[in-house]
Amino acid sequence: MVLKVENLSVTYGQKTAVDRISFQVKPGHVFGLLGANGAGKSSTIAAVLGIEKSTHDELGIVGKSPVRNRKEVFQQVGVQFQETNFQDKLTVSEACRQWQALYRKSADLPALLQTFGLAGKEKQLVKLLSGGERQRLAVLLALIPEPKLVFLDELTTGLDTKARRMLWKQLLTMKENGLAIVLTSHYMDEVEALCDEILILREGQTVFHGTIQEALIASEKTTLEDAYLLFAGEGEHWE
Amino acid sequence: MSTMFALLKIEGKLVWKGIDILIFGICFPIILAVLFGYLLSKEASSGSSNFELSYAAVITIGVLATGVMGLPLTIADYRHRGILKRFQVTPVSPLQLLFAQGLIQLSSALVSFVGVTLVYYLFFDYRLAGSWFMFLSVYAFVIVAMYSIGIFIGSVVPDQKAANMWSSVAYFTMLLFSGATIPYEVMPRFVQLIMDILPLSHGIHLLKMVTTGEAMAGMAVPMLILGICTVISLVGAFKFFKWK
Repeated sequence: MVLKVENLSVTYGQKTAVDRISFQVKPGHVFGLLGANGAGKSSTIAAVLGIEKSTHDELGIVGKSPVRNRKEVFQQVGVQFQETNFQDKLTVSEACRQWQALYRKSADLPALLQTFGLAGKEKQLVKLLSGGERQRLAVLLALIPEPKLVFLDELTTGLDTKARRMLWKQLLTMKENGLAIVLTSHYMDEVEALCDEILILREGQTVFHGTIQEALIASEKTTLEDAYLLFAGEGEHWE
Repeated sequence: MSTMFALLKIEGKLVWKGIDILIFGICFPIILAVLFGYLLSKEASSGSSNFELSYAAVITIGVLATGVMGLPLTIADYRHRGILKRFQVTPVSPLQLLFAQGLIQLSSALVSFVGVTLVYYLFFDYRLAGSWFMFLSVYAFVIVAMYSIGIFIGSVVPDQKAANMWSSVAYFTMLLFSGATIPYEVMPRFVQLIMDILPLSHGIHLLKMVTTGEAMAGMAVPMLILGICTVISLVGAFKFFKWK
């Protein structure tokens, strides 16, 4: 297991944002964390990364605690946050080289830039990139350490169809090579294209955990989107 | 080591591209040095002249601007925009980041020091009366103390607003009330009492002693005060460092 989470809870004051959720991710598997805005996806990711306080029976990334063994764990883990800000006046190549310098291992940078459609933009200021380009740069940076596990929070929000397809293809290739992925997404086509297993959150509670096939059967719906809406409670106001 | 080198190179470029460090860290102290050279009396009735005493004060202004202002503001800005949060999920340690930012700011403080010293030496025939070795050692000690305060502020402030406020409070009070710009000696007694609380007053006091080659007997207490201030600031900074 690259990631093991057992009964993890996050509370903010009186409010329970994430309530005793458990899941595991194997090498080469893609795990999707789904739910409406505010359902607790980002809190879960922050807690799993050890940057948000949580209670848990077990929390291990590559077999170690991200809190106690921060330095070792993050040699092998890449993270793309929902919102990625960069230093003012930072260029694309500086952003990449700075990230490379933080790790012992580093992926082939020119190849990554090519794959993510950023070749030829190395000299450009990050803040002058388009939203989609900046998003791709954030995902690229997460892949720089050649991680065993990568967290992608809303990875294709703001990308056009072609760029999304390109990114999926790239991630699937890396998955074939053993990369484990934890992602959040609001797009069910993306979830269907990438995820082996999903967990749907509703107000911090696990309302479904299993494969996409199992979600369809359990919900008696024909599409994942309908199944998702049923579980996440998002369809209620419309029906 | 390569991590440190890359951080220094890239972050250094970013900081030096900003105009603040140039104005407050370098131009302001050098302009003040020129003004003091023209305005202050070079006559020494007893001991050293006002002009000679002012050297110890002016060389701390660049340190103050970079260490107490530039350093905490950069760290707070990175925290505010979630840049520290991104670093938090990498193997880099807060110590490495703070150390790199500190060295970058220090580079401009040193340019300012050389500039001010050249102005004093070349235009106004200033000569250091004490030993250079003693002087540089004390100066380094004062720099460490001032940077610790900056690192402490940058490490613990919750947001950009608080960083602005606290670094401005520290910067302006020390700029005005520790003898960096207005000499300690001309202040009324009750203001001097307040000035005695500020760490930089003791730093400048020490520097005055070593630049004029005065007796070293009175150095123990100011040394101790600066030392305590450094230890408390650094321990506090690493204990309470906030990534976000």
